[in-house]
Amino acid sequence: LWSEQLAYPGTSRIHSQNTRTLTTEAQPESASSNAGILLSDRCVKRLQKIGASGEYLRIYVEGGGCSGFQYKFDIDTKVEEDDRLFERDGVGLVVDVESLEYLKGSTIDYQEELIRSAFQVVKNPKAEHGCSCGASFSLKV
Amino acid sequence: TGKRRLIPSRAALNLTESAATKIKTLMADKPQVLGVRIGVKTRGCNGLSYTLDYAYEKQKFDEEVIQNGAKVYIDSKAQLTLLGTEMDFVENKLSSEFVFTNPNIKGTCGCGESFNV
Repeated sequence: LWSEQLAYPGTSRIHSQNTRTLTTEAQPESASSNAGILLSDRCVKRLQKIGASGEYLRIYVEGGGCSGFQYKFDIDTKVEEDDRLFERDGVGLVVDVESLEYLKGSTIDYQEELIRSAFQVVKNPKAEHGCSCGASFSLKV
Repeated sequence: TGKRRLIPSRAALNLTESAATKIKTLMADKPQVLGVRIGVKTRGCNGLSYTLDYAYEKQKFDEEVIQNGAKVYIDSKAQLTLLGTEMDFVENKLSSEFVFTNPNIKGTCGCGESFNV
């Protein structure tokens, strides 16, 4: 599954009829505190554990899932021109500006349970959680 | 209750080597834990979702599966839906999780966490 995503890094990541808000609002803003994305302690700890230097956690939003949009995670070594980089304690998170529109104000967590440990987007102010797994969401209107 | 319980002749659950190894690792420093218990609960967008907990005792109707030294109890409610399922453990940088390959499943959700039978 991951290799498939790695193979097409250039494909358009957001398929939605909601493109108008994307083009009008996707102005660069200061990437500090609440305009950006927060990394939880557990997220930072996990990234420190797995990340070689020069590796970033990439998050992007895709159309799909049971609630319309879904979060995708990847490990990336490149920061593209339209990416925003969020750093904390030596680890970095990259998000492209289009996805950032859907993620602003969120916290990225690494949740560890017996059955599954994974990165998760929590407390996304723009999302109405449609699915209990947390991978998919719909937008608040 | 006097009712006869049907016991399936084939293993209710198959563990892959990585799943068995992970379960043994999880239990290694917890002497009071007998194994793990798999259950299902109504959750998710497609009906059912697996649960996994430490098992501190064998409950009356638990199905017991022992493979490569790893012990798994299957909750009575989960036995029918799990029959013939393979339990695997997959780990990469982004996540580590137990994955269930269940031949009884008719549909899953995008995230793969919930399913219906």
